Amino acid sequence: MKFKNILILAILLVLGTNVNAQWKKNKANEDTKIWRYDLECEGIAKQGSKLVKVWSYSKNPKHAISRGMKNAVHGIIFKGYAGGGQGCTPLKPLVKSVDKEEKFKAFFDAFFADGGEYLKYVSAATDGSIAPGDRLKVSRREYKIGVIVNIQFDQLRKRLESEGISKGLASGF
Amino acid sequence: MKKILQLGVSITFLLISVTVFSQAKKPTLMVVPSDVWCVKNGYIMTFNDQGTIVKIPDYKKALQENSELLQVISHINGMMAERGFPLKNMESAIKTLNSNAAEDNLRTSKNSGAGINESPIDAFKKVAKADIIIQLTWTVNKTGPKKSVTFNLQGLDSYTDKQVATAVGTGAPSFSAELPVLLSEAVLAHMDTFTESLQTHFDDMFENGREIIVRIQTWDDWDGDLETEYDDGELGDIIEDWLADNTVKGRFSTTDITESMALFEQVRIPLYNEKNRAIDARRYTRELSKFLKSEPYNIPNKLVMKGLGRATIILGGK
Repeated sequence: MKFKNILILAILLVLGTNVNAQWKKNKANEDTKIWRYDLECEGIAKQGSKLVKVWSYSKNPKHAISRGMKNAVHGIIFKGYAGGGQGCTPLKPLVKSVDKEEKFKAFFDAFFADGGEYLKYVSAATDGSIAPGDRLKVSRREYKIGVIVNIQFDQLRKRLESEGISKGLASGF
Repeated sequence: MKKILQLGVSITFLLISVTVFSQAKKPTLMVVPSDVWCVKNGYIMTFNDQGTIVKIPDYKKALQENSELLQVISHINGMMAERGFPLKNMESAIKTLNSNAAEDNLRTSKNSGAGINESPIDAFKKVAKADIIIQLTWTVNKTGPKKSVTFNLQGLDSYTDKQVATAVGTGAPSFSAELPVLLSEAVLAHMDTFTESLQTHFDDMFENGREIIVRIQTWDDWDGDLETEYDDGELGDIIEDWLADNTVKGRFSTTDITESMALFEQVRIPLYNEKNRAIDARRYTRELSKFLKSEPYNIPNKLVMKGLGRATIILGGK
């Protein structure tokens, strides 16, 4: 009888942990799913890459950090950045037409899914720590967190070209 | 069964040939240092043209003596090749021209001992050229101990003289970085912007046709001119009508027209003809040449081309 109680407790504990993890993941997605972020150039990276700082918004700073990479890849594909300091020049998005996101919805849903293909094209540029100036509390219940990441720009461009989502320089010739 | 197999094979070959032929003619691109850069760095040749001192860039000297130029060009070439658009290398083009000239001078016919025939026009045309020239300029700015590089890339259409792509800007100032590092950073920072604007140009070309220049000239011994009357009007108007009927969306502009010459610019020609074959200025203007040679005009003419984008028809003979 005692053993049965322990077993039930253990099962409940495992289930609870899983549900909690899933809930946290959903919450992180919920906080960032409208693709609300700012992207800025962080300097000249090595050939074929872009070094960017992505500012993500969330009620929970951890969610903003975890969604930074996804937002950065999304930003390079659909938004680009304005250039600015450190020798940065403006960058146009890889996909110029806004309706492409809807047209290739199935591809982008899978691409940006948790653990999706987008992870191949992005890596953290720092050791994971956030500089004090990059952790801002913008309102009573919201944080804005800046994460520096490195985007494999050329590979990402080629991937989108191979899917027919964006056009290569030599296409048509 | 055998017939079906043969039919299948023929359809496959047909599809392959259509795919191969339906590729538009790819423009050639070449990076060239700008005149201002050559003058600033002393890579010029000076000569006296009837009292006026003329400076022309000495590309060969620049490429042989300036390692930074070579570094920037090879960096740009590499980045363009990575995008599937390899560039024509100016240094190699100049070397090939020189070795061809040397070979031509030495070559004689085995039977008669005759040399290679070369008209003054042929000799004049023997320069390193490309359809789009990427003109490159950089200047090093110094503010106290700080150095920065201002970089300018211009994509210029050789035939229409239009700037079709650009990337310009000044890099971040640095206390310690060496010039080659600053130059590498400048290329890395600007190439995406440059290819982006080049892509816009190509997109426009695929949508609205290739832009060319058509010139009409007349031999001085021809007894007609562009004001000669035919049933459907003056010859100049007939040529304009032909262009209006045969350009993409009827787009062209008559820059100049007199009784002895006409200049049509911004002539938008389709990329493919009705057989789905890629066409350039020469192929396109050949149709106009045929039109003028045929009834009721019967005007003999000579077609002269310059690259993909400029063609001249000289009326009155070959």
